[in-house]
Amino acid sequence: MRWWKLLTLLVLASAASHAHPEIEAGLTRLNAALAADPRNPDLLLERGELYARHEDWLHAEANYLAAAEITPRHAGIARARGSLALAQNRPADALNHLNEAKALDPADSFVRILRARALRKLGRIDEAGNEYDRVLDRLRSPSPDLFLERAALLPPTEALTVLETALRRLGPVPALELRALAVEETLGRVDAALARLDRLSAGAERKETWLRRRGDLLLRAGREKEARAAYAAALAALAALPDWLRDSPELLNLTKELATLSRSTPSSPP
Amino acid sequence: MILRPLLLLAGITLILAPISAAPSILRGPYLQSATPDSIVIRWRTDTTEGSVVSYGTERGQLTKVAKADGVSAEHIVQLNGLQPSTTYYYSVGAAPLAPPAPGKAVAEDAPGRPSTYSFTTPPPVGTVKPTRIWVLGDPGTKGDIQRAVRDAYYAFTGKRATDLWLLLGDNAYPEGTDADYQKAIFEMYPVTLRTSPVWPALGNHDGRSANSATQSGVYYDIFTLPTRGQAGGVMSGTEAYYSFDYANIHFICLDSHDSGRNPDGAMMQWLKADLAATTRDWIIAFFHHPPYTKGTHDSDKDSDSTGRMNDMRGIFLPVLEQGGVDLVLTGHSHVYERSPLINGHYGKSPTFDAAKHVLQKGSGREGGDGAYRKKRGRIPNAGEVSVVTGSAGHAGSKPPPLNHPVFYIAMNEAGSSVIDVDGLRLDLTFITDKGEKKDWFTMIKE
Repeated sequence: MRWWKLLTLLVLASAASHAHPEIEAGLTRLNAALAADPRNPDLLLERGELYARHEDWLHAEANYLAAAEITPRHAGIARARGSLALAQNRPADALNHLNEAKALDPADSFVRILRARALRKLGRIDEAGNEYDRVLDRLRSPSPDLFLERAALLPPTEALTVLETALRRLGPVPALELRALAVEETLGRVDAALARLDRLSAGAERKETWLRRRGDLLLRAGREKEARAAYAAALAALAALPDWLRDSPELLNLTKELATLSRSTPSSPP
Repeated sequence: MILRPLLLLAGITLILAPISAAPSILRGPYLQSATPDSIVIRWRTDTTEGSVVSYGTERGQLTKVAKADGVSAEHIVQLNGLQPSTTYYYSVGAAPLAPPAPGKAVAEDAPGRPSTYSFTTPPPVGTVKPTRIWVLGDPGTKGDIQRAVRDAYYAFTGKRATDLWLLLGDNAYPEGTDADYQKAIFEMYPVTLRTSPVWPALGNHDGRSANSATQSGVYYDIFTLPTRGQAGGVMSGTEAYYSFDYANIHFICLDSHDSGRNPDGAMMQWLKADLAATTRDWIIAFFHHPPYTKGTHDSDKDSDSTGRMNDMRGIFLPVLEQGGVDLVLTGHSHVYERSPLINGHYGKSPTFDAAKHVLQKGSGREGGDGAYRKKRGRIPNAGEVSVVTGSAGHAGSKPPPLNHPVFYIAMNEAGSSVIDVDGLRLDLTFITDKGEKKDWFTMIKE
């Protein structure tokens, strides 16, 4: 990039922000530091990140560019540019930067997560999956969301394997169990889905919503008698709640609904 | 001739060596993940050594021992098998505290004897106990204002113990680094840290040195938070968001900064399950980014904080309200803003309609407009009070507009909030850095 272009962008970038005080305070500090050390790539990176945090993409990009001009091979700059491109829905650009960041700092797990997301957006599902797998293997405590992202790339049976791994590693996290339950149901594995619901119910202080879901699931599977039993169990769980909790309008409605469901089979499953 | 002074010097060196080599505590001890029968005690030393907590229910009789395997400079020891509502005395070190000889009391300040601290375990879950909660939003400036806010609270609470305290994020400026935390938290609140469990939320400044997807970085290294529902509530599988119970209160901490905020994401699914599971009288949610503010941030601006405030208002608030939340505590905006009893406002401020969204107007003060009243029970959309209390480190440097219509009161003042819960009554008080009680309200369940 020509220096006059860069200069224009930097002038824009260093201009006093019309945004809120946090940016202004950060800018004041960084502008002063950069005035004393104008070719410091880390300061430019920090200023770019400050803008990016407030969705000021233009100024963020300008600072990253300036930083990259000074230090072309800098893992932090490459990662920031990749992250910015991803946020702007430019996955191809993001991938270029993230490939560079990965090459410069292979140990950075977050770069790999961003890279997996860029690949996913580009439709390169297998490569995205491989990157997710590597990062999930590497992390001591990956967030449940990462497992959900990985599972979403897979056909149901393989997704279940990923979710099972996640449940083994993290414990019976409801978000993971519920996703696995949905997958089991799409595969027609009603009993396996029920087992998951039972696990969720067993760990819950209040069981009525899980038992209600059990009834709904059974009803969808055409197992009316068992469904009615599940609704009756939900009713019993409701009855076991303290009066002050049970007497809320929402739970009174639920009681009425469950009473009907436990007595008769509705024409269409809920 | 020269030998004698050399021998003397060597002797002095030998005598002093163990003293100078004795590890010193750089951080803590601090209390984490307290439950009625367990607590995690953490501290940091300048060298690696064993991790041992000696404890007991009598100050001079720390006869029980809990330890962690191996040696470390970061010490994490979990005490199990505790009794609820019980005061325990404890000391930390590399080895168990030597028991006093029969009939001989050892002075606590005896040379070389580690300091003795104390904590009180939470009561059995679901029971009623007068509970004091200190709430600090955006405290970590390390400066005089943070100190003044702290001291104003200490003067306010006096000998009344703090049962637990909440950090609403931006706990350590500017980058949430370990050094920032050392100054802003560990050197700022040492007494409270070793006597009251602290429950933090992740803020954007903490997020500069931490990553929720990878569960790594300073914030995640420093805090031990419940991932498996071990302190009450439903397991989240992550320290980024979690819940816990204290007496008849259910607390929900959300990660408004760095975890997925999409409606079908893991945090949302966990939140729904958690809300459906609790039978506590009160639900208090806390997180960093406020659903409403016109302070040093503007919740009407989509670009402000990359839409996080929009997400918390438009995606998470409806679920919290449906789940019967009573109080929403947030920071981020370095002001104090407080609503009346509200429900159902998920748009920008021009769409706020008091007739529709205010369930009970007025100050919420007894003797004034009267306390806010809710029916006891988990009633969806029965209203919550929304409090932005993000000025525990500093207030806005320029006068902010403070004109969001949802709020009953708003002020550009440094301070912290104090919550007292006693059975079916909840009081919140805002104390400024000058010790003035600038706002208060009461909520009563009937």
